[in-house]
Amino acid sequence: MSSTNTEANAEGCAGPSISDYCDAAAETVEKFDRFNELLNTNAPIALTPKRCVWSLNKAKLYRYTPVVPEDQLKPVPLLLVFAIMNRPYVLDLRPGHSYVEYMLRHGYDVYLLDWGIPGPEDKDMKFDDYALEYLPRVVRKLKSITGAEEFSMLGWCLGALISTLYAALRPNDGLKNLILLTAPLDFEDKSVGGFVKWVSDPKFNADRIAETFGNVPGEMIDAGAKMLKPVENYFGTYIGLWERLDDPGSTQAWHAMNTWVRDIIPMAGAAYRQLINEFYKENRLMEGTAVIRGEKVDLSKLRAAVLNVIAEADHITPPCQSERIMDKIGGDDHTVLRVRGGHIGIMAGRGAEKNTWPHIDEWLAARST
Amino acid sequence: MSDKATFDPFDPTGMMKSMRDKGMEAWAKAMTEMVGTDAYSEATGQMLDTWLKTSAPFRDMTQKLISQTLAEVNLPSREDVTRLAERFTNLEMRLDDLDAKFDECLKLLRERVGAE
Repeated sequence: MSSTNTEANAEGCAGPSISDYCDAAAETVEKFDRFNELLNTNAPIALTPKRCVWSLNKAKLYRYTPVVPEDQLKPVPLLLVFAIMNRPYVLDLRPGHSYVEYMLRHGYDVYLLDWGIPGPEDKDMKFDDYALEYLPRVVRKLKSITGAEEFSMLGWCLGALISTLYAALRPNDGLKNLILLTAPLDFEDKSVGGFVKWVSDPKFNADRIAETFGNVPGEMIDAGAKMLKPVENYFGTYIGLWERLDDPGSTQAWHAMNTWVRDIIPMAGAAYRQLINEFYKENRLMEGTAVIRGEKVDLSKLRAAVLNVIAEADHITPPCQSERIMDKIGGDDHTVLRVRGGHIGIMAGRGAEKNTWPHIDEWLAARST
Repeated sequence: MSDKATFDPFDPTGMMKSMRDKGMEAWAKAMTEMVGTDAYSEATGQMLDTWLKTSAPFRDMTQKLISQTLAEVNLPSREDVTRLAERFTNLEMRLDDLDAKFDECLKLLRERVGAE
Protein backbone atom coordinates (compact mmCIF):
# COMPACT_ATOMS: atom_id res chain seq x y z
CA MET A 1 0.00 0.00 0.00
CA SER A 2 1.42 3.42 -0.89
CA SER A 3 2.06 6.22 1.54
CA THR A 4 -0.70 8.35 -0.04
CA ASN A 5 -3.18 5.63 0.72
CA THR A 6 -2.00 5.31 4.31
CA GLU A 7 -2.38 9.06 4.75
CA ALA A 8 -5.79 9.03 3.25
CA ASN A 9 -6.89 6.22 5.49
CA ALA A 10 -5.42 7.99 8.49
CA GLU A 11 -7.60 10.97 7.63
CA GLY A 12 -10.52 8.62 7.76
CA CYS A 13 -11.37 8.63 4.03
CA ALA A 14 -12.94 5.35 2.97
CA GLY A 15 -12.40 3.72 -0.46
CA PRO A 16 -9.49 3.70 -2.85
CA SER A 17 -7.09 6.60 -3.04
CA ILE A 18 -5.67 8.34 -6.13
CA SER A 19 -2.60 6.18 -5.77
CA ASP A 20 -4.72 3.04 -5.99
CA TYR A 21 -6.28 4.34 -9.19
CA CYS A 22 -2.82 5.09 -10.60
CA ASP A 23 -1.65 1.57 -9.70
CA ALA A 24 -4.70 0.06 -11.34
CA ALA A 25 -4.17 2.18 -14.46
CA ALA A 26 -0.50 1.17 -14.65
CA GLU A 27 -1.49 -2.46 -14.26
CA THR A 28 -4.03 -2.17 -17.07
CA VAL A 29 -1.48 -0.50 -19.36
CA GLU A 30 0.95 -3.29 -18.58
CA LYS A 31 -1.77 -5.83 -19.37
CA PHE A 32 -2.46 -4.10 -22.69
CA ASP A 33 1.24 -4.24 -23.55
CA ARG A 34 1.35 -7.94 -22.82
CA PHE A 35 -1.88 -8.49 -24.79
CA ASN A 36 -0.53 -6.56 -27.75
CA GLU A 37 2.76 -8.47 -27.62
CA LEU A 38 0.95 -11.81 -27.68
CA LEU A 39 -1.15 -10.70 -30.63
CA ASN A 40 1.63 -9.34 -32.78
CA THR A 41 4.75 -11.37 -32.08
CA ASN A 42 5.73 -14.90 -32.97
CA ALA A 43 6.19 -17.52 -30.28
CA PRO A 44 9.19 -19.85 -30.47
CA ILE A 45 7.67 -22.84 -32.25
CA ALA A 46 8.76 -25.87 -34.32
CA LEU A 47 11.98 -26.23 -32.36
CA THR A 48 12.46 -30.01 -32.45
CA PRO A 49 15.81 -30.64 -34.19
CA LYS A 50 15.44 -31.79 -37.79
CA ARG A 51 17.26 -31.72 -41.08
CA CYS A 52 16.09 -31.43 -44.65
CA VAL A 53 16.74 -34.70 -46.50
CA TRP A 54 14.95 -34.01 -49.78
CA SER A 55 13.45 -31.08 -51.63
CA LEU A 56 11.63 -30.49 -54.86
CA ASN A 57 10.28 -27.13 -55.95
CA LYS A 58 8.80 -25.73 -52.69
CA ALA A 59 8.32 -29.11 -51.01
CA LYS A 60 10.77 -30.31 -48.38
CA LEU A 61 11.10 -33.56 -46.50
CA TYR A 62 12.48 -33.27 -42.99
CA ARG A 63 13.83 -36.02 -40.78
CA TYR A 64 13.57 -35.33 -37.06
CA THR A 65 16.60 -36.32 -35.04
CA PRO A 66 15.70 -39.52 -33.19
CA VAL A 67 15.92 -39.33 -29.40
CA VAL A 68 16.22 -43.06 -28.76
CA PRO A 69 19.27 -45.14 -29.78
CA GLU A 70 19.17 -46.32 -33.41
CA ASP A 71 18.70 -49.96 -32.39
CA GLN A 72 15.59 -49.05 -30.40
CA LEU A 73 13.93 -47.16 -33.27
CA LYS A 74 10.75 -48.74 -34.57
CA PRO A 75 11.55 -50.38 -37.91
CA VAL A 76 8.62 -48.76 -39.75
CA PRO A 77 9.23 -45.02 -40.29
CA LEU A 78 6.40 -42.53 -39.91
CA LEU A 79 5.69 -39.90 -42.57
CA LEU A 80 3.57 -36.89 -41.58
CA VAL A 81 1.61 -35.19 -44.36
CA PHE A 82 -0.21 -31.99 -43.53
CA ALA A 83 -2.66 -29.86 -45.52
CA ILE A 84 -1.57 -27.68 -48.44
CA MET A 85 -3.05 -24.37 -47.23
CA ASN A 86 -1.49 -24.19 -43.75
CA ARG A 87 1.99 -24.60 -42.32
CA PRO A 88 2.79 -28.13 -41.10
CA TYR A 89 4.64 -27.14 -37.94
CA VAL A 90 1.39 -27.35 -36.00
CA LEU A 91 2.53 -30.95 -35.57
CA ASP A 92 5.57 -29.65 -33.70
CA LEU A 93 3.98 -26.65 -32.07
CA ARG A 94 6.06 -25.90 -28.99
CA PRO A 95 8.63 -27.65 -26.81
CA GLY A 96 6.89 -29.77 -24.22
CA HIS A 97 3.71 -29.88 -26.28
CA SER A 98 4.57 -31.31 -29.66
CA TYR A 99 3.20 -34.39 -31.39
CA VAL A 100 6.52 -34.88 -33.18
CA GLU A 101 8.40 -34.73 -29.86
CA TYR A 102 5.94 -37.24 -28.37
CA MET A 103 6.37 -39.74 -31.21
CA LEU A 104 10.17 -39.37 -31.15
CA ARG A 105 10.14 -40.16 -27.42
CA HIS A 106 8.14 -43.28 -28.21
CA GLY A 107 10.80 -44.54 -30.60
CA TYR A 108 9.45 -43.56 -34.03
CA ASP A 109 11.62 -42.44 -36.91
CA VAL A 110 9.60 -39.34 -37.84
CA TYR A 111 9.59 -37.57 -41.22
CA LEU A 112 7.59 -34.46 -42.06
CA LEU A 113 6.58 -33.38 -45.54
CA ASP A 114 6.29 -29.61 -45.86
CA TRP A 115 4.53 -28.69 -49.12
CA GLY A 116 5.93 -25.17 -48.90
CA ILE A 117 4.37 -21.92 -50.06
CA PRO A 118 3.17 -22.04 -53.68
CA GLY A 119 4.42 -19.27 -55.95
CA PRO A 120 2.72 -17.94 -59.11
CA GLU A 121 4.48 -20.68 -61.09
CA ASP A 122 2.63 -23.34 -59.04
CA LYS A 123 -0.87 -22.13 -59.84
CA ASP A 124 -1.52 -25.15 -62.07
CA MET A 125 -0.64 -27.71 -59.40
CA LYS A 126 -3.48 -30.13 -58.70
CA PHE A 127 -4.10 -33.00 -56.32
CA ASP A 128 -2.81 -35.15 -59.18
CA ASP A 129 0.62 -33.58 -58.70
CA TYR A 130 0.60 -33.80 -54.92
CA ALA A 131 -0.56 -37.43 -54.84
CA LEU A 132 1.24 -38.89 -57.84
CA GLU A 133 4.23 -36.64 -58.52
CA TYR A 134 5.48 -35.44 -55.16
CA LEU A 135 4.34 -38.10 -52.69
CA PRO A 136 5.81 -41.10 -54.59
CA ARG A 137 9.15 -39.25 -54.81
CA VAL A 138 9.02 -38.52 -51.06
CA VAL A 139 8.26 -42.18 -50.34
CA ARG A 140 11.12 -43.31 -52.55
CA LYS A 141 13.55 -41.02 -50.72
CA LEU A 142 12.23 -42.05 -47.32
CA LYS A 143 12.69 -45.72 -48.19
CA SER A 144 16.15 -45.09 -49.57
CA ILE A 145 17.25 -43.26 -46.39
CA THR A 146 15.78 -45.72 -43.91
CA GLY A 147 16.30 -48.90 -45.91
CA ALA A 148 12.78 -49.89 -44.86
CA GLU A 149 10.43 -51.46 -47.36
CA GLU A 150 7.33 -50.42 -45.41
CA PHE A 151 6.26 -47.13 -43.87
CA SER A 152 3.37 -45.51 -42.01
CA MET A 153 1.71 -42.30 -43.11
CA LEU A 154 -0.32 -39.81 -41.13
CA GLY A 155 -2.41 -37.40 -43.20
CA TRP A 156 -4.21 -34.50 -41.59
CA CYS A 157 -7.05 -32.50 -43.17
CA LEU A 158 -6.31 -32.10 -46.91
CA GLY A 159 -3.13 -34.07 -46.22
CA ALA A 160 -5.47 -36.97 -45.43
CA LEU A 161 -7.21 -36.52 -48.77
CA ILE A 162 -3.85 -36.57 -50.59
CA SER A 163 -2.74 -39.59 -48.53
CA THR A 164 -5.97 -41.44 -49.34
CA LEU A 165 -5.60 -40.77 -53.07
CA TYR A 166 -2.01 -41.98 -52.95
CA ALA A 167 -2.85 -45.05 -50.86
CA ALA A 168 -5.60 -46.10 -53.26
CA LEU A 169 -3.57 -45.44 -56.40
CA ARG A 170 -0.22 -46.88 -55.24
CA PRO A 171 -1.20 -49.78 -52.95
CA ASN A 172 2.06 -51.63 -53.64
CA ASP A 173 4.44 -48.84 -52.63
CA GLY A 174 4.90 -50.22 -49.11
CA LEU A 175 2.32 -48.23 -47.18
CA LYS A 176 1.66 -50.37 -44.12
CA ASN A 177 -0.36 -48.08 -41.87
CA LEU A 178 -2.46 -45.07 -42.77
CA ILE A 179 -3.70 -42.65 -40.13
CA LEU A 180 -6.37 -40.24 -41.31
CA LEU A 181 -6.93 -37.21 -39.12
CA THR A 182 -10.10 -35.15 -39.59
CA ALA A 183 -10.16 -36.25 -43.22
CA PRO A 184 -12.51 -34.37 -45.60
CA LEU A 185 -13.42 -37.17 -47.99
CA ASP A 186 -17.20 -37.48 -48.26
CA PHE A 187 -19.27 -34.46 -49.27
CA GLU A 188 -22.60 -36.13 -49.91
CA ASP A 189 -24.41 -34.34 -47.10
CA LYS A 190 -24.60 -30.72 -48.21
CA SER A 191 -26.92 -29.78 -45.36
CA VAL A 192 -24.27 -30.26 -42.70
CA GLY A 193 -23.34 -26.59 -43.09
CA GLY A 194 -19.96 -24.89 -43.23
CA PHE A 195 -17.72 -25.05 -46.29
CA VAL A 196 -19.67 -27.75 -48.10
CA LYS A 197 -22.85 -25.68 -47.95
CA TRP A 198 -21.16 -22.45 -49.02
CA VAL A 199 -19.22 -23.84 -51.95
CA SER A 200 -22.06 -26.04 -53.18
CA ASP A 201 -24.22 -23.02 -53.87
CA PRO A 202 -24.47 -22.59 -57.67
CA LYS A 203 -23.45 -18.94 -57.28
CA PHE A 204 -20.09 -19.90 -55.76
CA ASN A 205 -17.70 -19.86 -58.70
CA ALA A 206 -14.38 -21.53 -57.83
CA ASP A 207 -13.20 -21.25 -61.44
CA ARG A 208 -13.49 -17.48 -61.40
CA ILE A 209 -11.66 -17.26 -58.05
CA ALA A 210 -8.76 -19.36 -59.37
CA GLU A 211 -8.69 -17.47 -62.69
CA THR A 212 -8.64 -14.12 -60.90
CA PHE A 213 -6.00 -14.81 -58.29
CA GLY A 214 -3.90 -17.60 -59.77
CA ASN A 215 -3.24 -18.96 -56.32
CA VAL A 216 -6.08 -18.43 -53.87
CA PRO A 217 -4.89 -15.93 -51.24
CA GLY A 218 -4.37 -17.31 -47.74
CA GLU A 219 -6.31 -14.38 -46.31
CA MET A 220 -9.38 -15.50 -48.24
CA ILE A 221 -9.14 -19.09 -47.00
CA ASP A 222 -8.45 -17.87 -43.47
CA ALA A 223 -11.48 -15.55 -43.52
CA GLY A 224 -13.64 -18.42 -44.76
CA ALA A 225 -12.48 -20.68 -41.95
CA LYS A 226 -13.02 -17.96 -39.37
CA MET A 227 -16.49 -17.14 -40.66
CA LEU A 228 -17.62 -20.67 -39.79
CA LYS A 229 -17.66 -19.49 -36.16
CA PRO A 230 -17.39 -15.72 -36.46
CA VAL A 231 -18.03 -14.65 -32.87
CA GLU A 232 -15.64 -17.20 -31.36
CA ASN A 233 -12.87 -16.44 -33.88
CA TYR A 234 -13.14 -12.67 -34.09
CA PHE A 235 -14.08 -11.86 -30.47
CA GLY A 236 -14.20 -14.84 -28.12
CA THR A 237 -10.59 -15.86 -28.53
CA TYR A 238 -9.34 -12.36 -27.66
CA ILE A 239 -11.68 -11.95 -24.69
CA GLY A 240 -10.51 -15.35 -23.45
CA LEU A 241 -6.88 -14.30 -23.83
CA TRP A 242 -7.48 -11.06 -21.92
CA GLU A 243 -9.00 -12.97 -19.03
CA ARG A 244 -6.18 -15.51 -18.90
CA LEU A 245 -3.30 -13.04 -19.19
CA ASP A 246 -2.14 -13.85 -15.67
CA ASP A 247 -1.85 -17.57 -16.44
CA PRO A 248 1.55 -18.08 -18.14
CA GLY A 249 0.82 -21.68 -19.21
CA SER A 250 -2.38 -20.69 -20.91
CA THR A 251 -0.99 -17.59 -22.63
CA GLN A 252 2.03 -19.54 -23.85
CA ALA A 253 -0.27 -22.09 -25.49
CA TRP A 254 -2.42 -19.32 -26.99
CA HIS A 255 0.63 -17.47 -28.30
CA ALA A 256 2.01 -20.58 -30.02
CA MET A 257 -1.35 -21.36 -31.61
CA ASN A 258 -1.84 -17.74 -32.70
CA THR A 259 1.61 -17.76 -34.29
CA TRP A 260 0.52 -20.74 -36.38
CA VAL A 261 -2.90 -19.27 -37.19
CA ARG A 262 -1.36 -15.97 -38.37
CA ASP A 263 1.07 -17.76 -40.68
CA ILE A 264 -1.32 -18.09 -43.59
CA ILE A 265 -0.28 -19.23 -47.07
CA PRO A 266 -2.01 -19.30 -50.45
CA MET A 267 -3.38 -22.44 -52.05
CA ALA A 268 -2.47 -23.47 -55.59
CA GLY A 269 -5.32 -22.28 -57.84
CA ALA A 270 -5.81 -25.53 -59.78
CA ALA A 271 -5.87 -27.57 -56.56
CA TYR A 272 -8.48 -25.21 -55.11
CA ARG A 273 -10.63 -25.47 -58.22
CA GLN A 274 -10.33 -29.27 -58.17
CA LEU A 275 -11.13 -29.45 -54.46
CA ILE A 276 -14.30 -27.39 -54.81
CA ASN A 277 -15.58 -28.70 -58.13
CA GLU A 278 -14.59 -32.37 -58.11
CA PHE A 279 -14.56 -33.20 -54.42
CA TYR A 280 -16.90 -30.78 -52.60
CA LYS A 281 -19.52 -30.29 -55.32
CA GLU A 282 -19.43 -33.64 -57.18
CA ASN A 283 -18.17 -35.88 -54.35
CA ARG A 284 -16.14 -37.82 -56.90
CA LEU A 285 -13.97 -39.72 -54.42
CA MET A 286 -16.91 -41.38 -52.71
CA GLU A 287 -18.92 -41.74 -55.91
CA GLY A 288 -16.01 -43.67 -57.43
CA THR A 289 -15.66 -41.23 -60.33
CA ALA A 290 -12.44 -39.49 -59.28
CA VAL A 291 -9.73 -39.70 -61.90
CA ILE A 292 -6.19 -38.67 -61.00
CA ARG A 293 -3.69 -38.40 -63.85
CA GLY A 294 -5.89 -40.64 -65.95
CA GLU A 295 -6.16 -43.30 -63.24
CA LYS A 296 -9.50 -44.05 -61.65
CA VAL A 297 -9.36 -43.88 -57.85
CA ASP A 298 -10.67 -47.18 -56.54
CA LEU A 299 -10.84 -47.00 -52.76
CA SER A 300 -11.18 -50.78 -52.47
CA LYS A 301 -7.55 -51.00 -53.60
CA LEU A 302 -6.43 -49.21 -50.42
CA ARG A 303 -5.13 -52.16 -48.40
CA ALA A 304 -3.09 -50.53 -45.62
CA ALA A 305 -4.26 -50.76 -42.02
CA VAL A 306 -6.33 -47.61 -41.41
CA LEU A 307 -6.90 -45.58 -38.26
CA ASN A 308 -9.54 -42.94 -38.90
CA VAL A 309 -9.40 -40.21 -36.24
CA ILE A 310 -12.59 -38.16 -36.12
CA ALA A 311 -13.01 -34.96 -34.09
CA GLU A 312 -16.52 -34.93 -32.70
CA ALA A 313 -16.80 -31.13 -32.55
CA ASP A 314 -15.12 -30.45 -35.89
CA HIS A 315 -16.84 -27.60 -37.75
CA ILE A 316 -14.30 -27.56 -40.60
CA THR A 317 -14.54 -31.27 -41.40
CA PRO A 318 -17.77 -32.46 -39.75
CA PRO A 319 -17.59 -36.14 -38.69
CA CYS A 320 -19.94 -37.24 -41.49
CA GLN A 321 -17.26 -36.25 -44.03
CA SER A 322 -14.82 -38.80 -42.60
CA GLU A 323 -17.03 -41.71 -41.61
CA ARG A 324 -18.22 -43.44 -44.80
CA ILE A 325 -14.71 -44.05 -46.17
CA MET A 326 -14.41 -47.04 -43.84
CA ASP A 327 -17.08 -48.92 -45.83
CA LYS A 328 -15.34 -48.26 -49.13
CA ILE A 329 -11.71 -49.11 -48.49
CA GLY A 330 -10.13 -52.52 -48.91
CA GLY A 331 -8.07 -54.43 -46.35
CA ASP A 332 -9.44 -55.77 -43.10
CA ASP A 333 -7.67 -53.77 -40.40
CA HIS A 334 -9.83 -50.68 -39.89
CA THR A 335 -10.20 -48.67 -36.68
CA VAL A 336 -12.19 -45.53 -35.96
CA LEU A 337 -11.13 -43.30 -33.10
CA ARG A 338 -13.54 -40.59 -32.03
CA VAL A 339 -12.02 -37.79 -29.99
CA ARG A 340 -13.80 -34.94 -28.24
CA GLY A 341 -12.54 -31.71 -29.71
CA GLY A 342 -12.21 -29.62 -32.83
CA HIS A 343 -10.34 -29.82 -36.13
CA ILE A 344 -7.00 -28.61 -34.80
CA GLY A 345 -7.60 -28.97 -31.06
CA ILE A 346 -7.56 -32.78 -31.06
CA MET A 347 -3.89 -32.78 -32.13
CA ALA A 348 -2.56 -29.43 -30.97
CA GLY A 349 -4.85 -28.51 -28.08
CA ARG A 350 -3.96 -28.86 -24.43
CA GLY A 351 -5.80 -32.17 -24.08
CA ALA A 352 -4.11 -33.83 -27.08
CA GLU A 353 -1.34 -35.41 -25.03
CA LYS A 354 -3.94 -37.29 -22.99
CA ASN A 355 -6.83 -37.82 -25.37
CA THR A 356 -5.33 -38.32 -28.83
CA TRP A 357 -1.60 -38.97 -29.04
CA PRO A 358 -1.48 -42.06 -26.76
CA HIS A 359 -4.28 -43.73 -28.75
CA ILE A 360 -2.49 -43.11 -32.05
CA ASP A 361 0.76 -44.37 -30.54
CA GLU A 362 -0.91 -47.48 -29.14
CA TRP A 363 -2.52 -48.32 -32.48
CA LEU A 364 0.62 -47.59 -34.49
CA ALA A 365 3.10 -49.26 -32.13
CA ALA A 366 1.24 -52.57 -32.50
CA ARG A 367 1.62 -52.28 -36.28
CA SER A 368 5.15 -50.89 -36.48
CA THR A 369 7.04 -54.14 -35.97
CA MET B 1 -17.61 -18.29 -22.52
CA SER B 2 -19.29 -20.73 -20.21
CA ASP B 3 -21.15 -19.47 -17.21
CA LYS B 4 -18.65 -20.36 -14.53
CA ALA B 5 -19.71 -17.76 -11.94
CA THR B 6 -22.50 -18.62 -9.59
CA PHE B 7 -25.09 -15.96 -8.81
CA ASP B 8 -23.91 -13.54 -6.13
CA PRO B 9 -26.00 -10.36 -5.63
CA PHE B 10 -23.10 -8.64 -3.85
CA ASP B 11 -20.69 -9.09 -6.76
CA PRO B 12 -21.79 -6.69 -9.52
CA THR B 13 -18.63 -7.34 -11.61
CA GLY B 14 -19.24 -11.08 -11.56
CA MET B 15 -22.85 -10.54 -12.53
CA MET B 16 -21.85 -8.29 -15.43
CA LYS B 17 -19.30 -10.85 -16.59
CA SER B 18 -21.88 -13.59 -16.40
CA MET B 19 -24.32 -11.45 -18.40
CA ARG B 20 -21.64 -10.70 -20.99
CA ASP B 21 -20.79 -14.41 -21.31
CA LYS B 22 -24.44 -15.31 -21.76
CA GLY B 23 -24.82 -12.53 -24.35
CA MET B 24 -21.74 -13.74 -26.24
CA GLU B 25 -22.97 -17.30 -26.17
CA ALA B 26 -26.34 -16.30 -27.62
CA TRP B 27 -24.69 -14.08 -30.22
CA ALA B 28 -22.24 -16.84 -31.23
CA LYS B 29 -25.08 -19.32 -31.60
CA ALA B 30 -27.16 -16.89 -33.66
CA MET B 31 -24.22 -16.05 -35.95
CA THR B 32 -23.24 -19.70 -36.44
CA GLU B 33 -26.85 -20.47 -37.38
CA MET B 34 -26.97 -17.46 -39.70
CA VAL B 35 -23.82 -18.43 -41.63
CA GLY B 36 -25.29 -21.91 -42.03
CA THR B 37 -28.39 -20.73 -43.90
CA ASP B 38 -29.01 -21.05 -47.63
CA ALA B 39 -29.53 -17.30 -47.85
CA TYR B 40 -26.05 -16.62 -46.46
CA SER B 41 -24.42 -19.11 -48.86
CA GLU B 42 -26.25 -17.57 -51.80
CA ALA B 43 -25.50 -13.99 -50.76
CA THR B 44 -21.76 -14.55 -50.20
CA GLY B 45 -21.43 -16.56 -53.42
CA GLN B 46 -23.22 -13.84 -55.36
CA MET B 47 -21.28 -10.95 -53.79
CA LEU B 48 -17.90 -12.61 -54.35
CA ASP B 49 -18.72 -13.45 -57.96
CA THR B 50 -20.04 -9.96 -58.71
CA TRP B 51 -16.92 -8.37 -57.22
CA LEU B 52 -14.61 -10.64 -59.21
CA LYS B 53 -16.59 -10.01 -62.42
CA THR B 54 -16.76 -6.24 -62.09
CA SER B 55 -13.16 -5.80 -61.03
CA ALA B 56 -11.79 -8.01 -63.83
CA PRO B 57 -11.52 -5.25 -66.52
CA PHE B 58 -9.58 -2.99 -64.13
CA ARG B 59 -7.27 -5.80 -63.14
CA ASP B 60 -6.63 -6.72 -66.77
CA MET B 61 -5.92 -3.09 -67.62
CA THR B 62 -3.47 -2.72 -64.72
CA GLN B 63 -1.71 -5.94 -65.63
CA LYS B 64 -1.37 -4.91 -69.26
CA LEU B 65 -0.02 -1.51 -68.27
CA ILE B 66 2.54 -3.01 -65.89
CA SER B 67 3.67 -5.57 -68.49
CA GLN B 68 4.09 -2.83 -71.12
CA THR B 69 6.01 -0.61 -68.71
CA LEU B 70 8.34 -3.45 -67.70
CA ALA B 71 8.95 -4.30 -71.36
CA GLU B 72 9.75 -0.64 -72.11
CA VAL B 73 12.41 -0.52 -69.41
CA ASN B 74 13.81 -3.96 -70.32
CA LEU B 75 12.75 -5.67 -67.11
CA PRO B 76 11.30 -9.17 -66.94
CA SER B 77 7.58 -9.46 -66.27
CA ARG B 78 5.95 -11.84 -63.79
CA GLU B 79 5.24 -14.22 -66.67
CA ASP B 80 8.93 -14.28 -67.61
CA VAL B 81 9.97 -15.08 -64.02
CA THR B 82 7.22 -17.69 -63.71
CA ARG B 83 8.37 -19.43 -66.90
CA LEU B 84 11.91 -19.49 -65.57
CA ALA B 85 10.76 -20.93 -62.24
CA GLU B 86 8.84 -23.66 -64.09
CA ARG B 87 12.02 -24.60 -65.95
CA PHE B 88 13.89 -24.81 -62.64
CA THR B 89 11.24 -27.15 -61.26
CA ASN B 90 11.55 -29.36 -64.35
CA LEU B 91 15.31 -29.45 -63.86
CA GLU B 92 14.84 -30.37 -60.20
CA MET B 93 12.58 -33.24 -61.24
CA ARG B 94 15.23 -34.51 -63.64
CA LEU B 95 17.78 -34.33 -60.83
CA ASP B 96 15.43 -36.23 -58.54
CA ASP B 97 15.00 -38.90 -61.22
CA LEU B 98 18.80 -39.19 -61.45
CA ASP B 99 19.00 -39.38 -57.66
CA ALA B 100 16.49 -42.24 -57.73
CA LYS B 101 18.55 -44.13 -60.34
CA PHE B 102 21.71 -43.50 -58.35
CA ASP B 103 20.09 -44.85 -55.18
CA GLU B 104 18.94 -47.93 -57.11
CA CYS B 105 22.48 -48.55 -58.43
CA LEU B 106 23.89 -48.21 -54.91
CA LYS B 107 21.32 -50.67 -53.59
CA LEU B 108 22.15 -53.23 -56.29
CA LEU B 109 25.85 -52.78 -55.68
CA ARG B 110 25.42 -53.32 -51.92
CA GLU B 111 23.34 -56.42 -52.56
CA ARG B 112 26.00 -57.82 -54.93
CA VAL B 113 28.82 -57.06 -52.49
CA GLY B 114 26.78 -58.62 -49.68
CA ALA B 115 26.16 -61.75 -51.79
CA GLU B 116 29.89 -62.14 -52.51
